[in-house]
Amino acid sequence: MFNLTMIFLPAVLAWSIHIFLRPRETGRKKKLFYLAFYFILINTFTFAVSFLRGVKGLRFDGMTMTYKIKYLCMGCVWAVILPFFVGIFTDGKGRRQDIRKEIHKFYHDVRSYTRYAVWSARADLRAEVSNAYLDWLWWLIEPFCMMLIYTVIFGVIFKASEPYFPVFIFIGLTMWGFFSRCVSGSVNLIRSNRSIITRIYMPKFILLFSRMLVCGFKMMISFGVVVFMMLVFRVRPTVNIFGMIPILAVFFLFTFGLCNIFMHYGVYVNDLAYIVGIVLTMLMYLTGVFYDVGKRIPAPFGELMEKYNPVAFLISSMRGVLLYGKAPDWMMLGMWTLVSLLLTMVGVSTIYRNENAYVKVI
Amino acid sequence: MADGKDSTYGIQEKDSMCSIQRKEQNKAIELKDVCINYRILNATSVQKSLFHKKEREIVFEAVRHVSFSVDEGGILGIIGRNGSGKSTLLRSIAGVFSPNAGEIDLKGHSVSLMALGVGFKDTLSGRENIVLSGMLLGFTEKQIREKMDEIIDFAEIGEFIDRPVRTYSSGMHSKLAFAITAMLETDIMLVDEVLSVGDERFRKKSLEKMNSLILDKKRTVIIVSHSMETLRELCDRVLWIHDGEVQEIGEPEEVLEHYVAFMSK
Repeated sequence: MFNLTMIFLPAVLAWSIHIFLRPRETGRKKKLFYLAFYFILINTFTFAVSFLRGVKGLRFDGMTMTYKIKYLCMGCVWAVILPFFVGIFTDGKGRRQDIRKEIHKFYHDVRSYTRYAVWSARADLRAEVSNAYLDWLWWLIEPFCMMLIYTVIFGVIFKASEPYFPVFIFIGLTMWGFFSRCVSGSVNLIRSNRSIITRIYMPKFILLFSRMLVCGFKMMISFGVVVFMMLVFRVRPTVNIFGMIPILAVFFLFTFGLCNIFMHYGVYVNDLAYIVGIVLTMLMYLTGVFYDVGKRIPAPFGELMEKYNPVAFLISSMRGVLLYGKAPDWMMLGMWTLVSLLLTMVGVSTIYRNENAYVKVI
Repeated sequence: MADGKDSTYGIQEKDSMCSIQRKEQNKAIELKDVCINYRILNATSVQKSLFHKKEREIVFEAVRHVSFSVDEGGILGIIGRNGSGKSTLLRSIAGVFSPNAGEIDLKGHSVSLMALGVGFKDTLSGRENIVLSGMLLGFTEKQIREKMDEIIDFAEIGEFIDRPVRTYSSGMHSKLAFAITAMLETDIMLVDEVLSVGDERFRKKSLEKMNSLILDKKRTVIIVSHSMETLRELCDRVLWIHDGEVQEIGEPEEVLEHYVAFMSK
């Protein structure tokens, strides 16, 4: 039974994503063709990877559970990525030329609108604190209180103790806070900026960029607190601490790419906000904001989840770098950099192709 | 930029036979066969897209095959019934969205759109909104700071300038919008029914401002309005759009007369 699941589930997942991306594509034959196509494509990719790792054939009898699950996870990662590429390459002629043009445009837009994004982010931050009693202190108080709550609940009641537990939780909360704020904000971003985009042209991802700068600034303040807490808890820093820079860069890029896609579908799909809310809550518990995914979850799953959930991977690398003097897993980090780049490309290109229509829909 | 100039001269040569009068002037805006469609029923829900795939698409043609051009320094009025595609046309000239077919050529001019009740971030103060609007129009922060006092003076909203825009009355809202677009000088200015708002005094002032813009030979203006007076007073040409198509374009007196006759039928 599981054998079938591990082969078919990724293909079905990819297929549903494909159909979701292009609801206008009808015709039973074409759909069946794509299902078969994804089935072959994904299993080829996955098998190629495991072949390179030294597994020379698929024999279901002698297979360990761990291998099966790894196979499934790998398949699902491909399933999430591939439909977008299939979309790009089947979307008509001249797409590759368009991509080059888009990269050029992206570079140009980023250059000419960055000043606006930064200014807008600054103004937003100022507006946020101007009506609050405690001003910018809230940016410190809020995550700090959250940290206290989770430390008490998980440290004292559930006895989930890690070395430097409060700092451990605080890093998780800081990074997760950034991620979830960006993603949930991106769904309604176009709608909530209606008054600007109906009046003047701007590349829509600049809205997202500006929003991410706001969240990123808050994250940086939290990291200031992390440094302070590291001093209090006498964490011994090592050279590996500089690993936080590439980790943060990949984190930012990954969030940007993902949010672009959410932003696009948020315009068309009215109830996406609910789904995103549910998925984010689920993901929060799977990401190990307040426990160590790798250790707490039984053997094959924990490690897998730590590797194949990008947010969990980045958070645990960050903890390793800051608290335990561990160098990040460069191979995995490189892979997620690649995925983030692809996501960003797909996201920005989706935005470029559709931003014309946004104004007409909202 | 260079290409734009070249093609302008090409067109002038052709035109010079029929209209000697306009020979000296450059075209600032040129629309060729512009069509703009709206897809109705485009916003959907997850449930809809999963279970009802064969949703028929209804395409609504808001603007159909519109071609016209405006001379540099000219003022064009657009008139027409509600829902005849005036605002849509203006938005696409402003670059908010590009047309589905046809071509809009601005010859490299900068453009700004002024419309009722839009264009601001609600939570920010008026001052910050001035800077943000200016930056989106392509000005540097320094240039905006220089114009800041002038804008605030013109808008006449007093101390409200430092309060969030969400606390503004609708009159203040549009006064500020007008002031920003009027003072930050873009080459082409698109005005969507803004002239008729504000109190009597402000209306007079904005009309005066518009008049001074007419004298400025560099500025090109397109005005959408339902007010006959405004159009008669300001424009040198009037375009009448009916159901997305050009019904008539020409001298204000003539077109407005036909329009009134048509509407009272």
